[in-house]
Amino acid sequence: MPPELRRAYLLVLGPPALIAPLPLFWTHGASPLGIALYEGALMVLFLRARAGRPVRLSDSVLNAIGLSYFFWLAVETAMLRPGLLRSVSHLLLFTTIAKLASLKRPSEARTALLVVFLLVLGSVSSSTHVASLVYCAVMAVLAFRTLSRLAVLADFEEGPPARVLTAVPTAGLSAAALLGGVLLGGPLFFLLPRLHGPYALSPIRTEDAPSTAVTTDRVDLDSFGSAKLSDRVVLRLSVDPPVALPQLLRLREAVFTRYRNGVWTRNPLASRRDRGSFGVQLVTGDSLPSEGRTARLSVDENLFGSGFLFLPYRSTHVRVERGRPVLLPDGAVQVSSSRVTVRYEVSVGKREARGAGESAIDPAQVPPAVRDYASKVTAGLTRPEEIADRIVQHFQKGFVYTLDPPRGSGDPLVGFLLRSKAGHCEYFASATAMMLASRGIRARLVTGSYGGEVGAFSDAIVVRGTNLHAWVEADLDGTGFRVIDPTPPSGIPPATARVSWWKRLVTVGRSIEVFYDRRILGFDAGDQIQLSEAFRDSFGNAARSIKFWKGTGEGGVFPGGAKAVVVVLGLAALALIAFKGITRRPAIPPATRAYLAVRRVLARRVGSVPPAVAPAEVARLLEASAPASVDDARAVVNAYCESVFGGRATDAATARELKERVKRIRKLA
Amino acid sequence: MTRLIPDWGIRVTNFGLGYILMCLVVAIAATNTGNNGLYLVLAALLAGMAVSGVLSRRNVRGVRCEIEALGEVVATRPALLRVRLANELATGTAQALFFLHDSLPGPLWIDPLKPGESRDVVVQAVFPRRGVFREADAGLLSRFPIGLFRKYRRAAVSNEIVVFPVPEASAIPDVPPEDARGSRPHVHRRGGGADIRTLRDFVSGDDPRDLHWKQSARMRRWIVREREAERDRAVFLVVDNVLEDRNDPAALERFESAISRCAGQALILLSRGADVGFQSRGVKVAPRAGRGQRGRLLEALARLEPIAPAEAPPFPPLRHGDHRLMIT
Repeated sequence: MPPELRRAYLLVLGPPALIAPLPLFWTHGASPLGIALYEGALMVLFLRARAGRPVRLSDSVLNAIGLSYFFWLAVETAMLRPGLLRSVSHLLLFTTIAKLASLKRPSEARTALLVVFLLVLGSVSSSTHVASLVYCAVMAVLAFRTLSRLAVLADFEEGPPARVLTAVPTAGLSAAALLGGVLLGGPLFFLLPRLHGPYALSPIRTEDAPSTAVTTDRVDLDSFGSAKLSDRVVLRLSVDPPVALPQLLRLREAVFTRYRNGVWTRNPLASRRDRGSFGVQLVTGDSLPSEGRTARLSVDENLFGSGFLFLPYRSTHVRVERGRPVLLPDGAVQVSSSRVTVRYEVSVGKREARGAGESAIDPAQVPPAVRDYASKVTAGLTRPEEIADRIVQHFQKGFVYTLDPPRGSGDPLVGFLLRSKAGHCEYFASATAMMLASRGIRARLVTGSYGGEVGAFSDAIVVRGTNLHAWVEADLDGTGFRVIDPTPPSGIPPATARVSWWKRLVTVGRSIEVFYDRRILGFDAGDQIQLSEAFRDSFGNAARSIKFWKGTGEGGVFPGGAKAVVVVLGLAALALIAFKGITRRPAIPPATRAYLAVRRVLARRVGSVPPAVAPAEVARLLEASAPASVDDARAVVNAYCESVFGGRATDAATARELKERVKRIRKLA
Repeated sequence: MTRLIPDWGIRVTNFGLGYILMCLVVAIAATNTGNNGLYLVLAALLAGMAVSGVLSRRNVRGVRCEIEALGEVVATRPALLRVRLANELATGTAQALFFLHDSLPGPLWIDPLKPGESRDVVVQAVFPRRGVFREADAGLLSRFPIGLFRKYRRAAVSNEIVVFPVPEASAIPDVPPEDARGSRPHVHRRGGGADIRTLRDFVSGDDPRDLHWKQSARMRRWIVREREAERDRAVFLVVDNVLEDRNDPAALERFESAISRCAGQALILLSRGADVGFQSRGVKVAPRAGRGQRGRLLEALARLEPIAPAEAPPFPPLRHGDHRLMIT
C-alpha cells in the first residue's frame, strides 16, 4: 500500500478508533492505564499521518510486540484475573493499534474497522448511563463519515487527492442519512423481538438518598433534607384536562403517626377501628370510571424502597398497570413490582380535600419538652383552628428554613424548637403535628411532593427530589383530616412556576434520562405489548375522530385524534420526498400528453409504433385500425403538431376537449 | 486481465457481505442476552442498510452522464472525450462518483455535484479499433454511502462516435498522368498552375509576375493572367469489402489492414491536392480535394463493414477518365 493511501486510511479510521473505547473507562470494561496507553498510541499514529509521515511497523517488530503481548495476556489472565470483559477489551485495544500501525493492504484497514466495531459493541453493551446515548449519537456520525470515506478509498490504488476525503460525505447528506437512520432505527429498536428480560437496568440504587426518605415505612429528619437536595426524577405525570394544577400537585404518599428521637414510622398494624374511609378505590379494569371525575392523572413513577404511590388529594380511583397494588388503611397505595418504574392512572373527584384514614399521633408520645413548648405558644387558646393558626404563625417568625440544619445531641425536634430554630419542611411539619397532638388535636405527619416542573416540550410535569415535601393533616372540626402546611413560603417548592431556559434544558435532559432508563435500557417484551396496545388505541381514536369529523362536517373544530393522522401523513410525505427526491421533470403539454396516449392506444392495437412513425402516419394507422375514431385522432394529432411545431400553446378548453377525445379513442379502440 | 468496466448494475461488495454477517452476529447476541445496547446497535445496523440502499440509488440514478468526442478519433491513438455530468436531483449532492472507461488507467474521481449542477470533464481515451460507437463502454461507479453496494450506470453517447482507421504509412501511389484525350472536364478553379484561366484587371494583391504586358499595353491599363489550379486526375481508392468468411480472424485482419492502407494512401493523395474518392461494394464517396474530403473518406472507411459474397453489390461504375486504385 502506498504511503499516501496508508495515510488516508489512518486519517479516516483514527477518529472512531479514538472515541470507540471511551465508555469502557467509566464502565470499568478496561483498565484506565490500558485505555490511556491506547489513546496515546493512537494519537501518535494519527498525528504522524496528519503530518504526512504515517507509521508502518515492520513485520518483525510487529511479531515481537505481538508475542510480548500474548505473554502479558497470559500473566494478566492467570495472575491479575481482570475478568473476561477486561481481557477481551485489552486484546481488542492492542489489536486495533497493531493493525493501524501496520497497514499493508486495504483489507487490513477493514479488519481494523471490524476491531473498532467490536470495541463499540463492548462499550455500548456494558454501559447503562444515559450518556451512552450521546456516545451512540457521536459514533453514528463518525461511523457514517468513516464508512463513506472508506467506500471512496476502496477504489483508489494510489493516495487520493487531498480534497477527496473532505468532500465526502457532504454535511446535508450526512444529516439526511442520520435522520433517516433515526426514523428507521427507532421503530426497529422497539419492534425487534425480545426473548429475554433486559440484560441491564438503570443504575437506581435503593441506598440512594430518596429511598431513605420516600416511599418507605420509616423516615428520619436528617435524611429528608438530603433527599430534597437530590434532583433525581421521582415521577412524571400529565393531567387531563390540566385544571386546578397547584392543588392537584400536592401528592400524598405516606402517613406517619409514630415519632421517636427524630425517626417517624408508620403504623402497619392499624386496627379495623382506625381504618375509617379508604378514600380511594382500586380499579382492575382497562379504564377508569369517568362519572364525577374532574381530571385524570397519568403517572410514571420511579419506584424507591417500598413502592408507595404518590396520589393527589380527592383521588377517587386508582388503576395500576402491571403490578399488585395494595390499599392501606391511611389511604396510601403500595405496589409490589419487579420493575423499576410503575405506571398508574388516578381519577380526581369534586369532593373536599381530606386525608383518608383515622390514624393519628398518640398524644402520650409527645416529648415533654415539645408539650411544654406547645402550651407556651398556644396559651389561652382552646379552639383547634385558633391553635393551628397560632402554631403556623409562630413558625413564620423567628424560624429559618434550611436544608442543612445544625445537628446536636438529643432529640432533633427538641433541638429545632428550643435551640437551632432552623430546619426544613419535615422539621416544621413534625413540630406542628406534635404540638397539635399535645393539645389534643388529632394530627399526623404526611410526606409526599408539592409542585413540579412543566416539561419543556409537553404538558407533562416532572416531580423530582427537590419537590419532596412534608406537611400535617389535622382534624380541626371533626370533618376529617385537612392539610396544614406550616413550612415558611421560602421552603415550599414552587407549584408550576415558569422555569428558565436552562432549567428547561435540564428538564429535557432529565426527561431523556427517564426515557432512556425506562424505555431503552429497561425495554422488554411487556413494553412491546404495551406499545402495540397504545398504537392500536391511538389509531382507533384517530379513526373515530375522522369518522366524527366527516359526520358532523362542521369546520372550526379539529378533532384531537385526527392530528395524529395528519402528523403521520405529513411525516410519511416528508420521508417520501427525502427518499425519492424531487426530480426536475419538465411539465408535459396537454397536447403532447394526448398524442402520446393515442400512440399508446395504437401500439396496443398494432403491436408497436416505432419512434420514427410521424404524427400524420399515426392518425392514418389509427384510422385504418379503428375507423370510428378518425376525427378524434386527427384532432389530437393536429393539436399536437400545432403545439410542438407551430409553437401554439394549448388553452384550458382545448386541453379538456383533448382529454375527452382521448377517452373516446380509448373506448372505440 | 480483469475487465474494468462492469457488465452489471448493482453488486454487493465483500464489505457488504461482512456487514450482513455482523448484523446476524449482533442479532444472535442481542436475542440471547436481552441486552438493549446490542438491540440499539442492531437497529442502527439494519437502518443503516436501508438508508444506504436508498441513498445509493439516488446518488447514481440522479446523475446523467453523456459522452461526446472532441475532434477526430483515430483508432489506437489518444483522443479527447468530453464527459458531461449533470445532477438532475433537486435535493442531494451526488458524491463519491468514479468515471470508468477502458482507456483510463483506473477509475476517475469526480468531485461532488451539487443539485442541478452540470460539469464537463475532458478525458483522454484510446479506442482499440475503428468503427462507429453508439453505446459507451463507460459509466459511473459508486459505493456511496457506506460501501455495501457497488452501483454502476452506463454513460450515454450524445452523438455516435466515429473512430477513424489508423492510416498506414505507405509509398506515394502510382497514378498515371492525365492525358488530353480522356480527361475529366476541368472545374477551372483558380490556383497556381500553368494553365491560364482568364485575363482580368489587376487588383491589389495580385502577383506582378502575372502581368500580361502586351495586353496591358493594348488596353492601357494593368491586365493580369489568372491561372488555373494544378490538379491530378480524380483517383478512386477501392477496397473490396467482400469476405468469404466474416468470422475468419485472418481475413478480418487483412481487411482491416487494407482499410488502414487505404486511409494512408488517401491522406497522401489529398496532401498533394488530388481529388480522391472512395469505392467499395455499395459505398461511394465522390472525388474531391481538401480537408472536408479527408473527413468524408476516413468516415467512410470507419463505417465500412465486411459483407458476404451473396449480398455483395457490384462496384459503382466509374466516370470516363477517373482512375481506380485497388487497395488489397
